[in-house]
Amino acid sequence: MISTTALTSGDAICFEPPGLVPFERAWAWQQELQQRLLEDPSAPEAVLLLEHEACYTLGRGADPSFLGFDPADPPAPLFRIDRGGEVTHHCPGQLVLYPVLNLQRHGADLHEYLRELEAVVIDLLAELGLQGGRIDGLTGVWCEGHKLAAIGVGARRWISQHGLALNVDADLQGFAAVVPCGIRDRPVGRVADWCPDLSASDLRAPLLAAFSRRFGLSLRPPTPQERLQGW
Amino acid sequence: MPALSSTMTEGKIVEWLKKPGDKVARGESVLVVESDKADMDVESFNEGYLAAVLMPAGSTAPVGETIGLVVETEAEIAEAQAKAPSAPAAAAAAAPAPAPAAAPAPAAAAPVPAPVAAAPVPAPAPVANGRVVASPRAKKLASQHGVALESLRGSGPHGRIQAEDVERALGLTVAVPRVAEGSAPAATGSGNGSVAPAAAPAGNAFGRPGESVAFNTLQNAVNRNMVASLAVPTFRVGYTITTTKLDAFYKQVKSKGVTMTALLAKAVGVVLARHPQVNAATSADGSAMVYPAAVNVAVAVAMEDGGLITPVLANADKTDIHSLARNWADLVSRARSKQLQPEEYSTGTFTLSNLGMFGVDRFDAILPPGTGAILAVAASRPTVVGGKDGSIRVANQMQVNLTCDHRVIYGADAAAFLKDLAQLIETNPESLAF
Repeated sequence: MISTTALTSGDAICFEPPGLVPFERAWAWQQELQQRLLEDPSAPEAVLLLEHEACYTLGRGADPSFLGFDPADPPAPLFRIDRGGEVTHHCPGQLVLYPVLNLQRHGADLHEYLRELEAVVIDLLAELGLQGGRIDGLTGVWCEGHKLAAIGVGARRWISQHGLALNVDADLQGFAAVVPCGIRDRPVGRVADWCPDLSASDLRAPLLAAFSRRFGLSLRPPTPQERLQGW
Repeated sequence: MPALSSTMTEGKIVEWLKKPGDKVARGESVLVVESDKADMDVESFNEGYLAAVLMPAGSTAPVGETIGLVVETEAEIAEAQAKAPSAPAAAAAAAPAPAPAAAPAPAAAAPVPAPVAAAPVPAPAPVANGRVVASPRAKKLASQHGVALESLRGSGPHGRIQAEDVERALGLTVAVPRVAEGSAPAATGSGNGSVAPAAAPAGNAFGRPGESVAFNTLQNAVNRNMVASLAVPTFRVGYTITTTKLDAFYKQVKSKGVTMTALLAKAVGVVLARHPQVNAATSADGSAMVYPAAVNVAVAVAMEDGGLITPVLANADKTDIHSLARNWADLVSRARSKQLQPEEYSTGTFTLSNLGMFGVDRFDAILPPGTGAILAVAASRPTVVGGKDGSIRVANQMQVNLTCDHRVIYGADAAAFLKDLAQLIETNPESLAF
């Protein structure tokens, strides 16, 4: 399983765009990175760590009835995107990690990949003294009944995009306008409710470190040739 | 439906990116499959044309199910459509490039003939005055699920398309090998939980009234084995096993892709390892007791077109339940497409036969030659149980019945084996996880 990833370790390019990134720009970057790996499956893997401007996204098969608003007139930009899962919300104070990996190097198992993304967050929470956990059938990371991290991925020829979103000190109001992930009866939470002094920027380095450990990848900045369009 | 994970048992078709008739390049995405919170674009292995979509977008299909047909030339499209779903001419819509480590993927990519209709040679859908003859319910079902009636073959009188034919095309019928995937009663259906058809339990028949139909190769092989078994002095021992704990454990591991077949095979394997006599058989010449080097549990699977086959879960005692479940899915999928290698169905040292999913409360099985015992497993059902202290409670119970070759296995051997098996299932099913 994924324990074998330690054997296949390599380096991955780490992109940390500053400021608040519009969703469509980060999506285009992921597609650019995915395309590189599709063209050359041995190319380096990559990961994007960023915070989004407020927006909503729907998985490809998502049910619009989980939106609490008219899709034609959303309170924040709404995107239907190529990942699995129902509606979710992104906003400042939420760390978003988008690994663009060749999953064939990581066990070629989509469910296992979701579990490993959960494990990244669980490891990170453990460092903070919080006990994050999984709930069977409800992908994501949970803490005392609150969902702290949402996960949704898409893949083409085993090249992944999208990933996980961890609420750190985000204003969770925007979640009220939807049924996040289609789960009505379980609230969304954020790390700052347990660790009030933490901000999203405090957790950037620890989140990347947890990801790097789990996936056996050492992260490095991009070379000039590896820069993304419109960076 | 490709396996995108070792724990994936079914997948949802989110979207067909190609329409029937569209040209498909090698490596081009044909559809999007969702499982859990992950989407995957599924690509065709071969260049050709998407001839037919057997499972519409929004539907859920078990891993290994044929969901669409890709043919090589434009000319074959009509032919494949006419034959669908009873005889796919070319490869099924392919799985994504199989990873070296992803064992189940190749199986999913194999062409899987869809279940054959009850009548031996179903007539093509008759077109009278340019219209297809179909029952009202079939028409309704077809329009609900977007199935082209013209692509179906009717099993009704004069080739009339029946509701069952549409359901079969959708993969909704009892379909395919009647595999033991649970000891709960009435667990029919091919895993498509979302749109369970109103049960229309049509009994299987290979001929029409008044006909006489020759046995096929597989049926003949089974016949020879069954007749040969008459030369074996067999006896039967039954046992009632409480499955409340096993059922609870199954619920826990089900989401991880573990099937009841895997659990039962593992349980039987573990207990057989402690009862080598029950794993033994009489040698072919009748002169010796043969103790196999491994515990290989074969599981009987009925084939839709007649006969049965016994794919083997090798080393069931030493293999973890996740691998057993995965191996089993792979074996069944390849059994359906008649791609099993002889060693994959002929090396069983003990056989399991499960009719629990039909709600059968008891039965016994005929001993396959070359083995010492076969266990018949019936449905687990809530039963009022009296305690030694006079108390009364309700517990899930199932009957099992062991058929043994008395030359090798004596009554006390069989009884001790069953007692151990019952104890494992009743008190410690969690140990099967290790």
